[in-house]
Amino acid sequence: MTGPKLVSILRQGSWLIASIHTALDDTQMLMFQHDLIDQIGRYRSRGVVIDVAALDVLDSFGARTLRTIAEMARLRGAETVIVGIQPDVAFAMVSLGMDTGTVPTALDLEEGLEYLGRPGGARSARHGRAAG
Amino acid sequence: MRDEPRPHDDVAALIPMLRRVIGARVDDAATADDLVQETLVRVLAAAARVEPGMLEPYAIVTARNVVASLWREQDRHRRNRHRVVDLDLPDSPDQDLLASEERTAVAEALARLTDRERATLLAHEVSGQDTRSLAAEQGSTAGAVAAQLNRTRARLRVEYLLVRENVEPPTERCRPVLLALSGGDRRRQREVDAGRHLLECDVCAQLSQPLMERAQPRDDEVRIPISTDADIVAARQAARELAARLGFARTELTIIATAVSEVTRNIVRFAGTGEVVVELVDRPRRGVQVTARDTGPGIPDVEKALADGYSTYNGLGLGLPGARRLMDEFAVVSEMGRGTTVTMTKWCGER
Ligand SMILES: [Zn+2]
Repeated sequence: MTGPKLVSILRQGSWLIASIHTALDDTQMLMFQHDLIDQIGRYRSRGVVIDVAALDVLDSFGARTLRTIAEMARLRGAETVIVGIQPDVAFAMVSLGMDTGTVPTALDLEEGLEYLGRPGGARSARHGRAAG
Repeated sequence: MRDEPRPHDDVAALIPMLRRVIGARVDDAATADDLVQETLVRVLAAAARVEPGMLEPYAIVTARNVVASLWREQDRHRRNRHRVVDLDLPDSPDQDLLASEERTAVAEALARLTDRERATLLAHEVSGQDTRSLAAEQGSTAGAVAAQLNRTRARLRVEYLLVRENVEPPTERCRPVLLALSGGDRRRQREVDAGRHLLECDVCAQLSQPLMERAQPRDDEVRIPISTDADIVAARQAARELAARLGFARTELTIIATAVSEVTRNIVRFAGTGEVVVELVDRPRRGVQVTARDTGPGIPDVEKALADGYSTYNGLGLGLPGARRLMDEFAVVSEMGRGTTVTMTKWCGER
């Protein structure tokens, strides 16, 4: 594979920070899901922040994939927070009849990390704002 | 992915079957041969992804799609061309005489059509009767009526030019060449060797000028062939880009892109291949219109598919109802065994 990376997954202590850098097609979205779940298991992560600010849309497939990631992460003992949903993307999701389900969302990376409960990793922060 | 090479023999063995499938749908032997080749290329490209044993059904579906895309190509200039003759006419205001000559030429060209061609064309263009209701009257399909209308328009343009220039085609090859050019059908143009004929025939070289100018690609329309996941992204991005020209707000652009994503995914999931056409319209208002069509199995119950919560694959049934909620206009026409066409529009500006 050449060219710029579509996604990056960075490890920071017991957290993973996953950033989507561009519009992903369904196959790439599923690869992202696979890689992320894989790393959650490998590093025994406690929390995952997924930054979707660069996604052009969150359609039914994208939203469902994020929910699936969060659910699989939960089963592996990690909590997920989605950050960076753009206002127009959120509006289209709501109009479409989609939301992120029970997956918490936060405004940006900083707020997402805060949500996961810096410094101790406790899950005591306020509940994230639902995207819809 | 498997490591052992998939022998091309598998694919080669499909040739007799493909000849039958395509031969049954395309009269012209040379065209049929072209389509068999095209199908083989596509099947070869996909062979590694296709389950063993599924190659033959896959090839049949591909062949049908290739034939269908031939027909679609012939339909290229159908949409939004609601004038009987859409050649550029001189329109200086003081040329009443010329205008009346134009009318006479159009009338004479119309008279050269068969009664049926003329009746259908006028019902559609003048009375505004849509292809579905025409199809119902004729015991045909909307697609067939649209294709027939296209051929009629192509013929009308040719006859109009012949009348206007007051010439009779000097050879038997002239009309087929002019028709192929008028229809914008590149495959047919190759078949009749249009390029050579234009070199050889001064009359056609001159007559074809306005026909070829007309066939220039439009810059207010984008056509995206759909067959893979990546095409879903390409389609929604193309729609966003084109719609942005109308000055839609960012939120609306994202709504359009999301709707396109949903309907395009339906093509990839259910039909395999199809196309998405995005075009700017200005009647009755400015807006962006998206047509997503495939030659897939069709939707057995459109009402049900449009009902929220109806789940057709993987617990995910939001595609059509979701897209409908996002757009201002939304229509689905589906015919079992023939395919599905979704047409949806977002108007620009205040409702
Ligand atoms: Zn000629």
